[in-house]
Amino acid sequence: MKNIKRLLILGLVLAGIFSCKKFLTVDPPYTQDAENYFKTPEDYDRALVGAYDLLQTSFMSLWIGEIASDNAIAGGESANDSQGLHQIDAMNHGGVNNDLRSVFRWNYVGISRANYILENKDNIDFPEKAHILAEAKFLRAYYYFELVKFFGDVPLVIDKRLGIEEVRTIDRSPKADVYAQIEKDLKEAYPVLNPVAGQKGRATKGAAQALLGKVYLYQSKWTEADDMFDDVIASGLYSLHPSYTELFDVAHENNTETVFDIQYSGLEGGGYGCLVCLEGNAAPGFQGIRQYNGPVYGDGNSYNLPTQDLYNFFPAGDPRRAATILDIEAFIAAQPNPSAITYAIGAGGHTGYYNNKYIKRQGEIGLPDNDLTSPVNYRVIRYADVLLMSAEANYHLGNTAIAQTYVNQIRSRVSIPGVSVNSLDKIYNERRFELSGEGHRFFDLVRTGKAATAIPGFISGKHEVFPIPQVEIDLAGGRWPQNPGY
Amino acid sequence: MRIGFLLFILACASMGFAQMRVVSGKVVNDVNEPLGFAKISSKSPKGNALTANDGFFSIQMKDTASATLTISIYGYQTQEVVVGPGDQNVTLIMKPEFSDKKEITVIGYGEAKNKTITGATSKVDGEDIEKMNMARMDQALQGQMAGVNISTNSGSPGGSANIRIRGLGTFGDNDPLILVDGIVYDSQGLNALNPSDIKSITVLKDAMAGIYGVRAANGVVLIETKNGSINRKPTIEYNGYFGLQETSKKLDLLRADEYAVIKNEMFAMGGQAMPFDNVNVGKGTDWQDQVFTRSPVQSHNVSLNGGTLNTRYSIGLGYFNQDGIVGGSKSHFDRYNARLNFSTDLSDKLKLNSVLLFSTEGRNTLPENGIGSVLYNAINAFPTEPVISPMGNYSYMEEVSDIINPVAQIMNTYNWNQAQKFVGKEEFVYKPLSYLTVTNRFNYNVSLVDSKVFSPLVWYGDGKYANTALNAQLESPTVELTPGFEIDRGAAIYEERNTFSDLSYEGFANYDQVFKTDHQVKATAGVTIFQRDGKSLNGVAYGVPNNDVNYADISANTTQGGYLNNTGSWEFTERLVSVFMRAEYGFKEKYLVSMVVRRDGSSKFGPNSRFGTFPSMSAGWLISEEKFFKFKPIDLCKLRVSYGISGNDQIPNFAYRALLNGEGVYVFDDVITQGVAIGRPANPDLKWETTRQLNIGLDLSFWKKLSVTTNYFIKNTYDLLFQPDVSALMGSYGPGGYPPVINAGNVSNKGWEIELGYRSDRTKDFLYEANWNFTAVNNKVTAVPTGVDYLPGAAFSVGGDVATRFQKGYEIGYFFGYQTAGIYQSQEEIDNAAVVQEGAKPGDLIFVDQDGDGVISFTDDSDKTYLGSAIPDFTMGFNLSGSYKGFDISANFYASIGNEIIRNYERQQPYANQMSYVIDRWVGSESSFDVPRQTTEPTRNNVFSSFYVEDGSFLRLRNLQIGYAFSKDWLRKIKMEQLRVYVAANNLLTLTRYMGYDPDLGSTSALSAGVDYGLYPQAKTVMVGLQFKF
Repeated sequence: MKNIKRLLILGLVLAGIFSCKKFLTVDPPYTQDAENYFKTPEDYDRALVGAYDLLQTSFMSLWIGEIASDNAIAGGESANDSQGLHQIDAMNHGGVNNDLRSVFRWNYVGISRANYILENKDNIDFPEKAHILAEAKFLRAYYYFELVKFFGDVPLVIDKRLGIEEVRTIDRSPKADVYAQIEKDLKEAYPVLNPVAGQKGRATKGAAQALLGKVYLYQSKWTEADDMFDDVIASGLYSLHPSYTELFDVAHENNTETVFDIQYSGLEGGGYGCLVCLEGNAAPGFQGIRQYNGPVYGDGNSYNLPTQDLYNFFPAGDPRRAATILDIEAFIAAQPNPSAITYAIGAGGHTGYYNNKYIKRQGEIGLPDNDLTSPVNYRVIRYADVLLMSAEANYHLGNTAIAQTYVNQIRSRVSIPGVSVNSLDKIYNERRFELSGEGHRFFDLVRTGKAATAIPGFISGKHEVFPIPQVEIDLAGGRWPQNPGY
Repeated sequence: MRIGFLLFILACASMGFAQMRVVSGKVVNDVNEPLGFAKISSKSPKGNALTANDGFFSIQMKDTASATLTISIYGYQTQEVVVGPGDQNVTLIMKPEFSDKKEITVIGYGEAKNKTITGATSKVDGEDIEKMNMARMDQALQGQMAGVNISTNSGSPGGSANIRIRGLGTFGDNDPLILVDGIVYDSQGLNALNPSDIKSITVLKDAMAGIYGVRAANGVVLIETKNGSINRKPTIEYNGYFGLQETSKKLDLLRADEYAVIKNEMFAMGGQAMPFDNVNVGKGTDWQDQVFTRSPVQSHNVSLNGGTLNTRYSIGLGYFNQDGIVGGSKSHFDRYNARLNFSTDLSDKLKLNSVLLFSTEGRNTLPENGIGSVLYNAINAFPTEPVISPMGNYSYMEEVSDIINPVAQIMNTYNWNQAQKFVGKEEFVYKPLSYLTVTNRFNYNVSLVDSKVFSPLVWYGDGKYANTALNAQLESPTVELTPGFEIDRGAAIYEERNTFSDLSYEGFANYDQVFKTDHQVKATAGVTIFQRDGKSLNGVAYGVPNNDVNYADISANTTQGGYLNNTGSWEFTERLVSVFMRAEYGFKEKYLVSMVVRRDGSSKFGPNSRFGTFPSMSAGWLISEEKFFKFKPIDLCKLRVSYGISGNDQIPNFAYRALLNGEGVYVFDDVITQGVAIGRPANPDLKWETTRQLNIGLDLSFWKKLSVTTNYFIKNTYDLLFQPDVSALMGSYGPGGYPPVINAGNVSNKGWEIELGYRSDRTKDFLYEANWNFTAVNNKVTAVPTGVDYLPGAAFSVGGDVATRFQKGYEIGYFFGYQTAGIYQSQEEIDNAAVVQEGAKPGDLIFVDQDGDGVISFTDDSDKTYLGSAIPDFTMGFNLSGSYKGFDISANFYASIGNEIIRNYERQQPYANQMSYVIDRWVGSESSFDVPRQTTEPTRNNVFSSFYVEDGSFLRLRNLQIGYAFSKDWLRKIKMEQLRVYVAANNLLTLTRYMGYDPDLGSTSALSAGVDYGLYPQAKTVMVGLQFKF
């Protein structure tokens, strides 16, 4: 009896030791593993959805593109609320800036998700694969273009995921190399992409070509840019939407002027804890009128407020002023019962103006917290922008007549007289009339060499790019040089 | 019982051939009362008998020479009596035993005599826990033991506390391993345990805990539940109390008229229209009075204890019910407990111990401890607003979108949480030889946790974040599923069922033999296999009919086609397999050494580091046993040293692999489309945190009355498991993404512990006892991951800066911000200042230029500095008790000295109410030197600075109790053993300079400790209680 028991115990002990390894290998139940994926076409498609997801962080690029320029101030609850934006507004931003860090981080998430697909591009073959890979390349190009616009030289990671140690071995690639990669991706992508999106929101041939044209334009490659825009214009798929004021409402989204929109939905709630998780557009709510109680608009956080300078820039007869800028006092005074309408002024600054293109409107309010979940799409490239970029390329190539035609096509849409395009400034001004409030201004000013004169505090040779977040330099092993002047 | 009887018959029968006689007699106590249930054993022939209720017994003995009878009974000294050949009828008088319960301590897979323990342990008896009248056992532990620090996360009913043994060892999970009768118990689930069921709590603080290997780094808490004892007549005990609770503090906030004056000034200073035409608005609404309430607490416990010759049992039933001091029944906790502790001798060598603890607990909670909590709203709500507006609605306070009417909030909050827990073991103890014990046990710990949250359609005013309706008419938002197809969302109900199940087997053998009287050898070896499974199923449904809580169930939802309803689930399994060994040697109980080694394999870690070995050793020298030691007043002097390595495995499951559990969602064709994304990058090298601890201790005892225990320890934790910031290039910061879990960073804790105990002689009428303990821990981060300067912790204010950090050279979670140096009194002072402070105006805070560059930099960290830490310099507990004849009194004090708290419950918003210290604000030259001007214009006064850091030191009278026990003589007449009544009070008195609700401010996360978001304070409770036994 005794011996049997002893043997039993010994057996248990031995069994415990020898079957350990197997016993301790526990697979996570019902969860897919990153190393064990890309087995079906659906796997590719679902990973691609994940790569698209980061487009929805466009609100931050929009804010910085406006706030850094002469178009807008940071606004908000106080100078401490979103300090990063206030610093950019005042042109005293440095290497410690949460908002710039978000831009840096989010775009690299997009890149790593696109890379994850491209890393596994040879796993299986199926008919739709080429299109999926082309979309992934389009997205990677889009994210790298954001990074190169913001930061100049950035590390290039292509077709792979990085391990913890590997991160410390990668250097910043020269801007030219980053541009070369963007061009390569887009050139490979656009011949494959469908001219008309199979699903609203998918990257199209026109989107890739317009983006590539824009990438050329940023490098002053006028001929190449012109070729791309010509293709887009010649495709006949795009035209200007008749009403400028309707351009930014939900009801008229994805119209013939849409070359590429980032799609949002108001059907999922969200919280401030995770802005990157939102399916709605955070910009309209944040840019809404603080504590507003009245008709037409919804209340918001008074971010990104247009300046008097922008307001004054518009000639009185240009209807695009009212469509771009909401003059709150004038608006209230024009309502039937003005005294019943109230709103508050944030301590982060007040100009009396709000961004009327991306603003929370009644009837376009998402689920709670509805400051964060607007269904309003972000217009990345409108056909009007294509025409203006093409005008610019053509002007540089000496085709002023074509430039003038395109500029006046834009003007006639809003029923204002044409102009004679006898200088680049005419095109630049038209860009400001047409595209203010859409996040392009700062990058246009830098690109055209106008930033130092237009932006108070702008130091040439420094502020053309933003500083690489200091912590990112540290986390990558401290080997990257900071951008000059920071 | 039956088996015992059989054995008795067998024992008698086997002696059939010897000449026998029957000895009978009676067992009485010192006052000549008969004692039942006394065990009479005779060695030759072997036999046992039990006395009847009248004390009589009879037992067979050999006829011949004298023989020895051993008489034992619970509560009396065991004695041996020699019965002469002629004795037929004997009367045996038993002397009461004043047992020293503290003699034996459980040490993990065994027990040890206190005298021979070589590690650092502390022990508290169940009575001392029960006496505190706390809902949770860990709350009752505060201030009881040196080196064990308890802080409270929330004073709400069912709120949790943190047990921290010897400082914070890690950035991650600092909870100790808690074992109830050897069964792993979740420290956050301690609510389920009834303090009245506890017999003792032992804390293993140093390398002694090494027998628990990879789970021992944060210390080990061994809880024993009450058990019966053999030879004890059944006794029934009742212990219950009823109390009333109220808040221990209210904040000193502005009254309506003060508020109006200050707000007018703020707006005027900011160049805006003044909001109040009339500042004569009286006292206004005291929102704190509106949310705080006086509420009841009650507890009832009944237990039955007893035992026969070979069976012992202890059965307990408990009921506890507590309403909150905020919101009354909306913040509620109740608990039912049943406990069965049963052991029996299956044979003379095999014993079965069976334990079953059942509990069911219910809890309702209000939003607490953060922006949007009821107290946060009550603090910041406008005193000028009535609770209910003249229009008949709860007032809106629309000027600030995140402050809602706290009274309406309480009304609209509905949630239920129900947890049922079955914890127990079947333990077989086989003792084939006098020196060998083999234990096999099967443990289980199963809990079912159900929760429900009902979110009705509510309207708190325009623009409020908490609105779920479209307007004051409570119209529902609609959702357009496809163009033209809209459905109402309506009120929502969320339900969740989580199931956790731990199963484990432990087998171990204990060897204990003394050679040649002086050499004691003990050895333990064993194996454990542990598996934990967790599952969750949850769902949310919309369109609860009539917006009515009575239909708050998924089954009642009315959404068309159920299109909006959603479900979720998760599941995990984790396993741990271990072997362990301990060898001890003692020479004459004078020189002692002990060695432990444990090897653990855990499914939590990567394939490259799945197994770890954890050795430790300790030694003791009883100097007082030496011949040369002749100093009479000292009866015990023991020097102890221990050193060991242990681990902490508390990280998420599967953290070593990259799973596709990130979020990849985009909108195509206006439909939210689910994709996939990597959640967290892989780290196949992931392993446990390692703690190396050295302990040097000295135990002294003077005149057998005063005991002194001191310990000095150095506890270094290496390879901290955490998720530091990683480079953006890894792509970890997308939706649902996390940085990888890595091993990096070190933390050091060094400290002193002193425990003093004094107990007066038992012989006097006036008995008293005093215990004092002292803990000082010096916590320091000694390394952070490469490339990382610090890890950011909690944020200050809304959208504000990171205020706490994990950084090399400082305490975990130290506070980091601007140091202030008074107030600028004039423009002249600003102009002439050596330091340029951008935007400063008279009345603004002066910040100290830390880097000496002559400019206060607000765009980087160069002028920020150390502003304190939540870790106290030292903590102390002081317990006093005394009795005189029937009366008894006891008091328990706890003090925490040198910790700081961040005041983070003030909403920095123009309309939010403020603390009354702003009355002493700066209004002109020399008017204030510490409180800045009040204005709506942008200032730097609300960046995180030392202005928001307060001294959080406090001394608290945790428990005071005065009781009266009726005399035994009188009780005997009514057949009772004990009857005691008492009055008691918890948290009667707190001495502190801290302005917030409660300086006893805990946090489960080491990095947000000391950040006060408007903590739900602990209640001040006054109770009356009754105990009786028969």
